[in-house]
Amino acid sequence: MGKTTRDTYSYFVEQKALDVTERPRKFLEAFAAVLDHGNYGVALETYSRLSAKCGRCAATCQLYEATGEDRDIPCHRTELLLRVFRRYFTQSGLLKARLGQGFVLTDEYLDEMAEEYYRCTACRRCKSSCPLGIDHGLITHLARYLLSEIDVIPKALLVATREQLEGVGNTSAIPVPALKDTCEFLEEELEELYGVKITYPFDVEGAEFVFFPAVSDYLMEADTLMGNAAVMHVTNASWTIGTGNYDGINYGLFYSDRMMERIVNNVIAETRRLKGRKILVGECGHATRSAWYVPAFGGPDAPPVINCLEYAWEMLEAGRIPLKDEKIAERVTYHDPCNIARSGRIVEQPREILKAICADFVEMTPNRTENYCCGGGGGTVSIDEIRAFRTGPLGRRKAEQVRATGAHYLVSPCANCKKQLAEVCEDNGLDDVEVVGVHDLLLKVIDFGVPEPGENDADSESDGSGEEDQE
Amino acid sequence: MTTIDVLLEWLRGPVFWAGLIFMVLGLGRHVVLTLYGIIRTYRKAGDKNIPVRQVVGATLRWIFLTQGLKNRLLYGINTLVFHICIIVVPLFLAGHIALVNQATGLSWPALPNGLATALTVIAIIAAVTIVIQRVAFTTARRLSRFQDFVMPLIVAIPFATGFLVMHPTWNPFPYQFMLFLHVLSGDLILFLIPVTKLSHMVLLPGTQIISELAWHFPPDAGHRVGVTLGKANDPI
Repeated sequence: MGKTTRDTYSYFVEQKALDVTERPRKFLEAFAAVLDHGNYGVALETYSRLSAKCGRCAATCQLYEATGEDRDIPCHRTELLLRVFRRYFTQSGLLKARLGQGFVLTDEYLDEMAEEYYRCTACRRCKSSCPLGIDHGLITHLARYLLSEIDVIPKALLVATREQLEGVGNTSAIPVPALKDTCEFLEEELEELYGVKITYPFDVEGAEFVFFPAVSDYLMEADTLMGNAAVMHVTNASWTIGTGNYDGINYGLFYSDRMMERIVNNVIAETRRLKGRKILVGECGHATRSAWYVPAFGGPDAPPVINCLEYAWEMLEAGRIPLKDEKIAERVTYHDPCNIARSGRIVEQPREILKAICADFVEMTPNRTENYCCGGGGGTVSIDEIRAFRTGPLGRRKAEQVRATGAHYLVSPCANCKKQLAEVCEDNGLDDVEVVGVHDLLLKVIDFGVPEPGENDADSESDGSGEEDQE
Repeated sequence: MTTIDVLLEWLRGPVFWAGLIFMVLGLGRHVVLTLYGIIRTYRKAGDKNIPVRQVVGATLRWIFLTQGLKNRLLYGINTLVFHICIIVVPLFLAGHIALVNQATGLSWPALPNGLATALTVIAIIAAVTIVIQRVAFTTARRLSRFQDFVMPLIVAIPFATGFLVMHPTWNPFPYQFMLFLHVLSGDLILFLIPVTKLSHMVLLPGTQIISELAWHFPPDAGHRVGVTLGKANDPI
């Protein structure tokens, strides 16, 4: 065998990934085990028999659009894994091999897979364009899982998951005292800015909702979290944050079903510990999608899952969120996070909220289930060393979309999308765009029914319960 | 009887029946295996809630090829027309129905011959342009295997020969010879259907539900993979 290329991946891996020996054998053993216990078999059998090779998927892929490289055609990438499957796990492949034909899985081939499957963000935009229903995002998901079993895992994802499952207990390594400090700070901010006393309730047993945001929000998205608390406050919701587990992030979705299962089970366990009735997920795309797997892992009596957008819209529609008279004046556009919108599950709720609170809401095209990925999907946003790739070839399409709207606020209810979009804007000259969450804007227009402090402050909104102001 | 008559009888008789049986059994095998796979996957799934409307919607949009018009419009229209012609003409051609009637006594309404001729010509043009579009569209060309280029042309052969059989004035070859080619190519396709991409005729309706089910993880699949690989308790 030739020399391996694995010390030149685009992303950092840990030393142990470079030390693994006999990778093809171990990869195939993992493949066999996954086929045995998982539910991928029928899909692979069907895909490997059927493939139109029509190139329709390429026409929908923003990466291929940008690079024009064969390796970025979704169907081409999928074929990388299907070739292995066909050769080692189908009758005809075994027969061909016996006749001395066909391909052999090598170290170099694995390196190629390691590179290609992390160029795809698993946004699944191409799925609807495949005549044969091939879900290329599923193949990316599976291939990364198999690669993780030979320790090919981007270091950024691995380290965070280790921290969550074996370290402090969450991906941002925020210990409980720091979490409580942060929430106290947010409470003070809310009082200072809006004159309202709102508390972040910890470890309340029997609450209706146990709250799982992307834990990074506690570090980076104060406004989103204040918006979340504000909505819970004005709707008199019974909710709590569990100090046993307060992280909705699940990088297992991006690289390993084994990890994903453990992380989802931890969310269920914390909800049960607190005797909470429902899991409330914050503004995070992949946390929401992972939480939708709660019924898969938690059995029939698993707690129901609701996303904070679904809750907020339900309450707003019911008239339970009082709003100020004036709306957000600046132009607002909405980016659909792939993980909640592609399946069509959360598409209209955030739009309805934004239409209700913004004077100038515009859509980017295409949108909803056909949106373009922010370019940081599938965990790639956490891989800082590939930023130029993310905001360049992967993110350029999104930058053009945003520019075409002329919006000031670019709203996306997803921690990953927000980080990526901010970088896309920065690297593509969109300096006037402000990336925010839905709850950030909602917070600005909620009428708490109390006089707001800081009348003479330039930023402040209004002078009392009468609510008379313009921005 | 000349040699070609004998051959023709043979192709129309035993070879045709063998092809038909091969096709039915081959496609039947695909259907049974796929259905078995679907049921097995569904049983293993932890979450048995399927978004039925979405899956059925996507399935129908691709069976009727309307989704195909969303990108690559010309290719979409071409493939749609091609499929309609190659399904309708062989099944509703008066001559074919007469043959079936002779053999089995069954009968059904036929296409007017003029319309059948028109659809035949369209099918041939569509087959050729599909290949041209595949060659001209860089992405598709680079993805394509040998059968992707050849299959539309193979499917077009019975149409081209059928046209010449029906229109002797256009036919430079002896009638019997053309009929021989027509039946031969038709028989060949019967044998090819289950073992080439043509098998999508039965597999396509299952693909959407199969893709959906693959995301329905068995409750402890991950843990069991860990145990099988002896890594369940390894540090991350």
